[in-house]
Amino acid sequence: MLTALILAPAVAAIVIALIPSRRAEVHLPLGIALSIVPLGLAGYLFWVFEPVAGYQHAVDAVWYEPWGIGWTLGVDGISLPMVLLTALLVPIALGASTSINKRTKEFVVFTLLLEAGMMGAFLALDMFLFFVFFEAILIPMYFIIGIWGGDRRIYASIKFFIYTALGSALMLAAIIGLAFNYSSEFGATSFALADLMQVTMDQGAERWFFAAFALAFAIKVPLFPFHTWLPDAHVEAPTAGSVLLAAVLLKLGTYGLLRFNLALFPEASVDAVPIMGVIAVIGIIYGAVVAIVQPDLKKLVAYSSVSHLGFIVLGTFALTSGGLQGAVIQNVNHGITTGALFLLVGMLYDRRHTKAIADFGGLQKVMPVFAGFFLFMAFASIGLPGLNGFVGEFLILIGSYATLPVLAISASFGVLLAAIYLLWAYERVFTGELDKEENKMLVDLSPREIGLLAPLAILVLVIGLYPAILLDKIGPSTEAVLDHIESSTDYEVPDPDRLDDVFTAGGDS
Amino acid sequence: MPTPDVNWLAIGPDLAMALAAAIILLVEVQWKPRARVLGLIAAGSLVVAFALSVVQWLIAIDAVAAGSFSELSAFSGMILMDGFAIFARFALLVVTAIGIASGWQFFEGLGRRSAEGLALVLLATTGFSLMVSSNNLIMLFLGLEIGSIALYVLAGLTREEKKADEAAIKYFLMGSFASAIFVYGVALIYAGTRQLTILGIGDFLSTFIVGSPGVILIGIGLVIVGLGFKVSAAPFHTWAPDVYQGAPAGIVGYLAGVAKIAGFAAMARILLTAVDDFDWSFLPVIAGLAVLSMFLGSVMALVQSDVRRMLAYSGVAHAGFILTGITGLSADGILFYLAVYGVQLVGAFAVVAAVSGPGGSSSDIGLYRGLSRRSPVLAGSLTVLLLGMAGLPLTSGFVAKFGVFSDAWFNGYEWLVVVAVVASVIAFAFYLRIVVIMYMEDDDAATIAVPGMVRWVLGIAVLATLIWGILPGSLLNIVADALPL
Repeated sequence: MLTALILAPAVAAIVIALIPSRRAEVHLPLGIALSIVPLGLAGYLFWVFEPVAGYQHAVDAVWYEPWGIGWTLGVDGISLPMVLLTALLVPIALGASTSINKRTKEFVVFTLLLEAGMMGAFLALDMFLFFVFFEAILIPMYFIIGIWGGDRRIYASIKFFIYTALGSALMLAAIIGLAFNYSSEFGATSFALADLMQVTMDQGAERWFFAAFALAFAIKVPLFPFHTWLPDAHVEAPTAGSVLLAAVLLKLGTYGLLRFNLALFPEASVDAVPIMGVIAVIGIIYGAVVAIVQPDLKKLVAYSSVSHLGFIVLGTFALTSGGLQGAVIQNVNHGITTGALFLLVGMLYDRRHTKAIADFGGLQKVMPVFAGFFLFMAFASIGLPGLNGFVGEFLILIGSYATLPVLAISASFGVLLAAIYLLWAYERVFTGELDKEENKMLVDLSPREIGLLAPLAILVLVIGLYPAILLDKIGPSTEAVLDHIESSTDYEVPDPDRLDDVFTAGGDS
Repeated sequence: MPTPDVNWLAIGPDLAMALAAAIILLVEVQWKPRARVLGLIAAGSLVVAFALSVVQWLIAIDAVAAGSFSELSAFSGMILMDGFAIFARFALLVVTAIGIASGWQFFEGLGRRSAEGLALVLLATTGFSLMVSSNNLIMLFLGLEIGSIALYVLAGLTREEKKADEAAIKYFLMGSFASAIFVYGVALIYAGTRQLTILGIGDFLSTFIVGSPGVILIGIGLVIVGLGFKVSAAPFHTWAPDVYQGAPAGIVGYLAGVAKIAGFAAMARILLTAVDDFDWSFLPVIAGLAVLSMFLGSVMALVQSDVRRMLAYSGVAHAGFILTGITGLSADGILFYLAVYGVQLVGAFAVVAAVSGPGGSSSDIGLYRGLSRRSPVLAGSLTVLLLGMAGLPLTSGFVAKFGVFSDAWFNGYEWLVVVAVVASVIAFAFYLRIVVIMYMEDDDAATIAVPGMVRWVLGIAVLATLIWGILPGSLLNIVADALPL
């Protein structure tokens, strides 16, 4: 089942690669059609997922026995939403790529390979396997930015690659170190997450390993001050690339912190709470402030990503039920809203070939539907109650207030700033006089484009109004993470029951 | 006088190749056949050598399982038939076979001299094959010289080219200097232990406590320096860029590949089985050389504008990674790395030769602009091979690096592993540079036709890179048996 989820896009990529290049018109439609398969699988997975802790549909096959590496997969409440998000966004990203007019075949192939890699990274429960996927994802993304990107695409793609590779290289060293500690303690080699979690380390080693992992994920997220590759990559990447980068790829960082750092290094994680919290809050405020002054719409959305992802990291290291649940659900929310915003910016760029805010003004007169979608997604991103962003940020802020009150209060300014940069951008682009000649000819969204945005908009509402649909499945797994930390350190989760019933269905308290 | 007991099987592979070299030369004099015929003779001898090696391999596995190690040494302990030697020979034979195939245009282009070229290739492989299977330092030196001298001549085979001349002379001078240093080191080790066989030295050092090991230590040092030249580890790498650039394009991949395989196999055998009791003394040196090679190779490769020079410096960096494996005392990790890298190297140079064109000596990076349009096969293969060399996951290069890194970590060289992973990220940058030029820049230059043989070579190299990367067990299970006695 999970293997199929990884192999389906890979096989689809091979199928498309085998179709001759001159049949250029079939590649994209076929790619979209084939990417529905993993979406169906992921949907089925969601349907049958039991809301309990622990990994489900586990696969455990030996890969190479003497090294103790295995094809170990499993899905729990933390990875399930990510899998679903990935499966959903790939067809949408492909659907938004009709403006790709050179080397369509390679584009579709790379996008599908990217999907396979992301699925693998979210499902892998073997550190070796995880690293393989984590690193392999760089290759298709590198090509997507480098071939189909904007003017400075080559600079951006290499920067993206080297930056993230540097982080993951040190993580590789730490993985080897962990496996070494395991083998000297238990006498057998293994890279399985479940095995490595039992390793006892002295404090120094644990902190070094934690730092190596955290660095890899912090670059991926990216956390301040490792974020400098992100705006370049986003601005230069084609729309589909930006969407997948923001919505899914970056989530590998936040997912990794939650799944691996907390699980493997509970002691160091507890110790690192102040540091990670401060870095997260700096990212929230810094990203938001820089976003306000961006003259380029895409860059603005990119910096808003930095800010929003700071919330997720803050929630993760709050080490409370609310914080962790909020982090997981905000992973999804950010994927949906930022993905949608990048789609919208891309649609605007396709029409006008500029992303500079100053080139627009009064667009809601000619593109009312587009403006409506943009405003809706902006509200979701700001965290308007009733929309999905509210659920995540509220949970994170309440959750982190319990343990990190000062940081939580500072972070809440991020919400305010988000309202400023997004609404101000909306004002400059959509309201006012339609004074630029070129803008008068712009056409509103086509049915195809509405079709791409509609599912995301529906999800924004569904999660906003009925978050239990996700939280029910997330909760047990995040509680298990906290239980693990409590059992291996002195740390006590403050009042763990307090938030359980805030959003979950049947909250009768 | 009784006739000495000759174990024909032990030298069968080497004999087959040496005989074929002689036959090729004689046939050429007598019948002047087309180059194709000579090529078939060479190929046939390689197949025979391979088949005999497989037989040796099966015997070796049985003997090790039965514990009868004496079966595995022949000629009064001169030659070993252990898994280590046989696997190294497998790697040499494969690199030779695909090396000849990828350079076939070059051999044909030599006209009447193609016989010389093929004979020299076979002789070089014979020498290196003896080198990796020898148990005696003198024997090892002989193999080294047979192989090296053949390579010097090969580097200068196109006499008309000024650059090839320069490369050959440089290679010869540096190489013979290195050989001299090596043999002096051998003499000092002999002076200190009164043993010439590798196993004998090992026994001696583990049995007796050497009161003043100074002579032996200097000997080990000189051996490392001498072999360091052969494998182009920094700071002994200075010949490599000029030779890679100047030697005929069709032959560079082979030349570089076999020299590295044989040099590292010999180094690993001497350091890990003969003088392993002194590892406290040489491992820090090896680690230092590894750091220097990795960084110097990666950084210098960044600033090259010629793809061949870039690959030469990348070879220096790879020498550093393999040295990391020596600090991990992992013979199997090194062998796996060598096999994987050798195949990638020959494949990459097959592309270089095809892009430079027959007789073309320039491999300026500008020639690769827009290659993905002009020849998707070449660009795609080179990309996979470069990503393999860079050590990205799902390629054999990643498995190889992972193997040597984890062995080094397990042996207490944590810091070296951290340095090595950082160096491999620097190396990404220049591999990516070639990929960028091939895929992300456009050029209207003419398309490049790919000769049939080159297609085969690339197919094999790419498949090997991917299969060993995705299913590492397919090769690792074999290497696991390839341990030195």
